[in-house]
Amino acid sequence: MELQEVYKGENVNEIIRVLSIYKNEAKIIAGGTDIIIDLRNEKISPKVLIDISNTRELSYIKEEGEFIEIGGATTFTQLIENPLIQENLQGLKKACSLVGSPQIRNKGTIGGNIANGSSAADSIPPLICLNSTITLVSTRGKREVYLEDLYTDMNKTIREDELLTNIRFKKPKPEQILTFSKLGLRKALAISRMSISTLLEINKKGVFKAIKIASGSLGKYPMRELEVEEFLLEKSPDEKTIYKAAKILQESMGKRLKGRSTLPYKREAVIGVFREAVEEGVNWSCERNKIKG
Amino acid sequence: MKEIKLKVNGIDYILNIDEDIRLIDLLRDKLRLTGTKEGCGEGECGACTVIMDGVSVNSCLVMAFQADGSNILTIEGLEEEGKLHPIQKAFIEEGAIQCGYCTPGMIMSVKALLDKQPYPSREEIRKGISGNLCRCTGYNKIVDATEMAIKYIKEEGV
Repeated sequence: MELQEVYKGENVNEIIRVLSIYKNEAKIIAGGTDIIIDLRNEKISPKVLIDISNTRELSYIKEEGEFIEIGGATTFTQLIENPLIQENLQGLKKACSLVGSPQIRNKGTIGGNIANGSSAADSIPPLICLNSTITLVSTRGKREVYLEDLYTDMNKTIREDELLTNIRFKKPKPEQILTFSKLGLRKALAISRMSISTLLEINKKGVFKAIKIASGSLGKYPMRELEVEEFLLEKSPDEKTIYKAAKILQESMGKRLKGRSTLPYKREAVIGVFREAVEEGVNWSCERNKIKG
Repeated sequence: MKEIKLKVNGIDYILNIDEDIRLIDLLRDKLRLTGTKEGCGEGECGACTVIMDGVSVNSCLVMAFQADGSNILTIEGLEEEGKLHPIQKAFIEEGAIQCGYCTPGMIMSVKALLDKQPYPSREEIRKGISGNLCRCTGYNKIVDATEMAIKYIKEEGV
């Protein structure tokens, strides 16, 4: 490590000022749960580290009208324990509660999960289903980017002088449910082999009125599964249809992961993980429709 | 070098540290608090667990400069006036310690759990220690010891 300077970022203005001076020689450290490993393995060797784990301005969860906004340095534990991340947002809560271990969740942040951009990042598929935007701030100004585009569009990636300050999404309608399902190799401390999140609504006629699906570790980055969504829309959520949808997902992830040694295993497993995520939502919706008549 | 201020086991310190050391290095090498162990160095094993501002963290995944202004509790800070903490006592009595390497981290995770949730179920205890690996005991004794510690804490009103 050739670390020369370390800063504790008091506020956003100061952080982006330091970033604008050092640019790619500086790295932001939030929870540190990934970056410290990279530093020690000399995968990265920044000259400057800027700590944002105690930056109050970046650690909050708030409701603003129809929106929920989460500060970039909010930890997974803070998210799991927040009353705003409950009920029909249970998929986000579940995803965050399956990250690492209690110690990792106490330190790891949602902004770090996004900025680090692992394909296996648990919080990203549910946030993509919610059509979340992230705010990137630099001394040059401020811009909003759809999380879904962050990994696919070169113009939308986080630039070296930018700080991810918050994540924002519209609260799903009360009749919609966000779900999450993950395959790890053990219960705790498991990096996702794959994950699926859905945001869905079954209407009174008993068909998918809305369906969004996002996956993790089924490609180079977390992404929407548009073909599957298209297939399911307006269809009834019976076993046969869900199985057919799973086969479509199997087909498209098969193309994306072609040549990978893990593919034969993932091809089989994806059916179960997908069904679990969809059925969790379907059961919730049908139960709700029953109660509400 | 960077100057930081922090509290460890109730004592205030002002220290000059190298920028690139971690909290575990500070605790073990600077303060000679060698109760905290380093296992994997990657946040997988939990042997280095300490309590930082009220929550359990892997001290191998915190840079020392990040701990500026924080309040740290390590295994050495649990005993009071030479008397073992009820969790320590329960671990010894219940045989929840074999080689002992995971024990300091394990006890700190149990402490963090009980501070937050004084009466957890066995399942909740297992979740609470899910970030700590033990290759000797098979965990049952640790869960038993935690239940015994809950009883002791209740009796002693610690």
